[in-house]
Amino acid sequence: MSDLDLWLIILGGGLLTYLTRIGGHLLIARIGALPPRLEAALNAVPAAVITTIVAPVVVSGTWAERLSILACGLLCLWLPGIVVVLLGTAFVAVARSQGF
Amino acid sequence: MPKIDPLEARAALRDVVPVILAIMPFGAVYGTVAIDSGLTMAQTLGLSGIVYAGASQLVALQMIGLSAPVWSIVLVVFALNFRHVLYSASVGRHLSRFTATQKAAAFFLLADPTFGAAEARANGGVLTRSYYFVYGLLLYVFWLVATLAGAVFGSALGDTRALALDFILPAYFLTFLMSFRARPQFWPVVLWSLATSGLVYVTVGSPWHVTIGAFGGILYAALRAPDAPSEAGIAGEGERV
Repeated sequence: MSDLDLWLIILGGGLLTYLTRIGGHLLIARIGALPPRLEAALNAVPAAVITTIVAPVVVSGTWAERLSILACGLLCLWLPGIVVVLLGTAFVAVARSQGF
Repeated sequence: MPKIDPLEARAALRDVVPVILAIMPFGAVYGTVAIDSGLTMAQTLGLSGIVYAGASQLVALQMIGLSAPVWSIVLVVFALNFRHVLYSASVGRHLSRFTATQKAAAFFLLADPTFGAAEARANGGVLTRSYYFVYGLLLYVFWLVATLAGAVFGSALGDTRALALDFILPAYFLTFLMSFRARPQFWPVVLWSLATSGLVYVTVGSPWHVTIGAFGGILYAALRAPDAPSEAGIAGEGERV
């Protein structure tokens, strides 16, 4: 990817992110409240998008990776996120060093 | 710049320090992965300083690694950060004493923890400029410090595949995902996204599994929307920055 492409991503992503940060306030100042369906859709965006980032590991990861991602999902009910990430990554690193 | 109220500044400091400690490792992971993905030091810091939204920065890196088209990466960053519209709508009500310029700056600093802290502060009384800017600016500066630390020291790690550094992102995103589990419709949204995304990933391929896959879950939520808007499920959750 070229330098220009990377800067376009940084500046374009930054501009649109700033619009989301100031946009809700501007929108509310105009229309009063968000329609329920729009609010429900907005509420679902983080879970929906983040799931798609994990999906490739579930669909086409190695068995060690799948096992680790499943364990991470359960462990983060009890442990802090950063601990779970380090444990899961360490497990995959060890599995790879053993040829899995 | 009006002068800072020391009591408000101290309260902000007390609230922000634990959050800074919690986000530093993620900033460092981002810095490490960014350099590893081929970004220059300026680009690595630029993404942290201009976009300033950790999860979307990591997703962007993932998609850069896949050589996804620029527009699709920008679109996904936008989609992932769209939740800020809700924060902005809510926090805006507490900024009536801010000038227009101060508001513009305050919204730039509106990351997830800043939103949570501002709402909590406004609940207990008045959200002052001293509190908001001390909290928001410290968090911002330390996000950049963590990014820099990862970018400088992370590259000394060597073979990143043997260390499974490529697994950090999916694992991180899974824990991040689980932090939203109290939201209404969480499990059906996740299952619809997973099914759509998995299907698109094996048929059409990357990066469409992100853009199209997410619509599976979002569409479900929109069609299943309750009639009355709910106040629950926005505050106190979500990503670290």
